[in-house]
Amino acid sequence: MLRLIQNEWMKLWSKKGTWVMTGLLILAILGMFGLTKWVNTMNNFDEQDWKTTVQGELTYSKEQLGNSTLVDGERERLEDKVKVLEYRLANSIEPLSDTSREGMIMSSSGIGSIAVLLTVIVAAGIVASEFTQGTIKMLLSRPVKRWKILTSKYVTVMLFGALLMLVGFIVSILGAFIFFQSGNGQELAWNGKEIVEVSVWGKGLYMLLLSFANVFVTATFAFMIGSVFRSSSLAIGLSLFIYFMGSTLVMLLAKYEVVKYIVFTHMDLTIYETDFRIVEGITMPFSIAVLAVYIVIFLSISYTTFIKRDITA
Amino acid sequence: MEMKPIVELKNLSKTIGKKKIIDNLNLSLYPGQITGFLGPNGAGKTTTIRMMVGLMEPSGGDIVIDGKLLADDFEVGLSKVGVIVENPEMYKFMSGYKNLLHFARMQEGVTKARIEEVINQVGMQNRIHEKVSTYSLGMRQRLGLAQAILHRPKFLILDEPTNGLDPAGIREFRTYLKMIAEKEGVSIFVSSHMLSEIELMCDRIAVIQNGKLVDIREMSETQESHYYIEIFPTETAESMLKAEGFAVEAHNDGFIIKAEKTQIPGLVQQITENEMQLFAVHPHRKTLEDQFLEMTGGGQIAEAHTK
Repeated sequence: MLRLIQNEWMKLWSKKGTWVMTGLLILAILGMFGLTKWVNTMNNFDEQDWKTTVQGELTYSKEQLGNSTLVDGERERLEDKVKVLEYRLANSIEPLSDTSREGMIMSSSGIGSIAVLLTVIVAAGIVASEFTQGTIKMLLSRPVKRWKILTSKYVTVMLFGALLMLVGFIVSILGAFIFFQSGNGQELAWNGKEIVEVSVWGKGLYMLLLSFANVFVTATFAFMIGSVFRSSSLAIGLSLFIYFMGSTLVMLLAKYEVVKYIVFTHMDLTIYETDFRIVEGITMPFSIAVLAVYIVIFLSISYTTFIKRDITA
Repeated sequence: MEMKPIVELKNLSKTIGKKKIIDNLNLSLYPGQITGFLGPNGAGKTTTIRMMVGLMEPSGGDIVIDGKLLADDFEVGLSKVGVIVENPEMYKFMSGYKNLLHFARMQEGVTKARIEEVINQVGMQNRIHEKVSTYSLGMRQRLGLAQAILHRPKFLILDEPTNGLDPAGIREFRTYLKMIAEKEGVSIFVSSHMLSEIELMCDRIAVIQNGKLVDIREMSETQESHYYIEIFPTETAESMLKAEGFAVEAHNDGFIIKAEKTQIPGLVQQITENEMQLFAVHPHRKTLEDQFLEMTGGGQIAEAHTK
């Protein structure tokens, strides 16, 4: 199996496109950083006093806590947040500004959306291209069972996705050090007993991991379409369509119960770490369970069609 | 043939929709033998080959490779088979060497040294590190052969192997195949439309039409010695030849007789003694093409699948 993955990896990196995509990722991230920096220097607006901002946030969170329809997970998160905010005011510890070096490292979810785009292209093509090149005949007339070949391809796609995320993370750390000053503040959290300082690196990696869920699901979908329909353009198109339309659909359906079981609702796990949430009443374990079910469905469709198919062309 | 066959097809069938593409095909292939696989377009040659290498699933019957059912143990069975299915489509964006490395990794026990050896055998050492997209069709065929023999298969399947090779290349290829068949006892199964090519290469031929095996014959059989003879007067000549015990068949203005070389001088003497006029005596070779057309009834394309 290792040798099959080696093969896929070799084929992947023998294509110029793969290098171009990785280069684009690096450029895009550096570009984003540069742009943020430029915008910041242009609008040299008066910095609001951090205490006023924190006070405002605190009032808002408390208001939300008064809402009786909150689910337990959400209520807990808000309570923790209130504790942290109160602690900040009491001990006058400034929060990290979004445009500080540390703030930039933590908000790495931007890497996620570029990585999704690029991983989808690879996932869509890795099976379909064997058919369009005609190499599928050569590949499947070997003493290797088809499920092993498909698995090696799937693993390769996921490794590629993970690699992109990692490269993206390293580049954004570099970018953060090049473009931004270190901030004065500290990242704090309530660990159940007391307020503790949170490592910027740990938080950054955790956010990265959460946004990888999105790469994982979207790429699996593209992989399925690519192996069932043997057309990479269809797979890319369809995957990106659902990737972009997904949140719109969720917003439209937000009032109905069914939205909880739609894959789009759960693709972005970083919502559990931020205040932005469209659908009420879902928790992280529930989201992970729903995603797992979808992944199993996508994969079983691609395995059955790939193993059963007669190679005629 | 006393030898144990390396590949056996037993009642092999394939149905697509309602149409029987392959209908109860039985065929055995033996070590050291080169078997030609002939048939008009649409007869089911490619389908048969694809079933033998696991690209298509048979609807019925068995494929036995080296004593084991392919359906039971796909990986062991196919590890003994080398394949070129139609044009060998390689990964064009990679070098020839990387392509070989790729296929070597999918087999057990192919060493780097073996890869080098095969590259030298097919004469590609000078350009093996260039991208396949820069290769000519002939070079791609060589690379195709190289990937098929990497793991020293006991059985080699070739679909249209000489397509795109120059005459020198074809000859070299033929010599090479004969060599591995004789020395290493490899059983070779070649499908081709180039009948003259098959004739020069194969020990026996299997002919398929409309999914059924029409005929299997040894090439030695087909190369029985025949002579064309033209004598006047025709009638007396025919009765004379028959009286001498030759199998006679009218052909153009004369006859074709089945005769050994040593019988010819005696025959000529007899003709002159009988004061008949002899115009021509020369060896007659029925080409494979003649025989092929005879067997397949003109070689029309198989009935359309929609019927």
